[in-house]
Amino acid sequence: MIATFFLLALLQIKAPDAAQFVGQPKGIPLSGPRLEEQTMVISHELRCPVCQGLAIGDSPSIMAANMKAQVRELLERGYTEEQILSYFEKSYGQFVLLKPKFQGVNTLVWILPIAVLAIGFVLVVSKAKKLEVAPAPAAVEEPVDDPYLAQVREMVEKP
Amino acid sequence: MNRTVLIIGIIIVAVIVFVLFAGLGKDPQHIDSPLIGKPAPPFTLKAVNTGQTIDLESLRGKPVIVNFWATWCVPCYEEHPTLVANARQLPDVQFVGVVFNDTEDKINQFLAARGSAYPTLLDANGKTAIAYGVGGVPETYFINPSGIIVAKFEGPMDSEILRANLAKALR
Repeated sequence: MIATFFLLALLQIKAPDAAQFVGQPKGIPLSGPRLEEQTMVISHELRCPVCQGLAIGDSPSIMAANMKAQVRELLERGYTEEQILSYFEKSYGQFVLLKPKFQGVNTLVWILPIAVLAIGFVLVVSKAKKLEVAPAPAAVEEPVDDPYLAQVREMVEKP
Repeated sequence: MNRTVLIIGIIIVAVIVFVLFAGLGKDPQHIDSPLIGKPAPPFTLKAVNTGQTIDLESLRGKPVIVNFWATWCVPCYEEHPTLVANARQLPDVQFVGVVFNDTEDKINQFLAARGSAYPTLLDANGKTAIAYGVGGVPETYFINPSGIIVAKFEGPMDSEILRANLAKALR
């Protein structure tokens, strides 16, 4: 990484930096297994922009690999998870976050399934209660003077 | 009771139909850029075709069209003649090509075969593309003379689309 830095400095190449978007790092620079672990965690919170609903951690695309490399580099520099997610959000919008934020229209995504489940539960419970309380249907009294019924009875009861 | 269930059912179905209907005709790959109206992320990159180093900040004062592309991108072949022709016709507009996930050799071969009229920069690690929120190539950003991104276009442009977006940068 240091060699790359010097090579880029030599060529006077400067790509846009996360500091322009989210300021200076607020965390501790990570390295070793902790760095790899945290890279994987964040890579599964970011959507690959060229894939169909895949996280950059699961995508084999070059774009996802570049994004993952950038996540790793930002963690090495001491950026926090919140800062890194914010950096990508500022470039790609909320689309890039696999877990939508609890704000605006997104609130519906969180609330609606729970609300529908709750309504369904209330309906089922109230229906079940009514079935429990409902009296047994009264026996229908047979008309005594039904000639058809009398004929059937006679045929059945006949030895 | 049955009427209540029916009304709730109708409301739920109506919401689902509305959401699906609202999404009809929209490109699922389209990403609304949060960078519109914001300063363009600055970069300094080396041009593979001219060898010069281009600093975006130094281009302030005139409209800039930043086109992200790659030699492996088929629609970029279709778009390239439009960009070259417009760059030649519009000397007061700075066109900049940014190529990512590619090699200098392939880029130079592409430009030698298809012509070149503006600097083509190499974004070796894709950092510039990420900072601009590039989802796929070609993708073009229109920057006004004050350095503010005023429009973004995804996909290959023809002259009409290019000029319509450029007009936003000239306002």
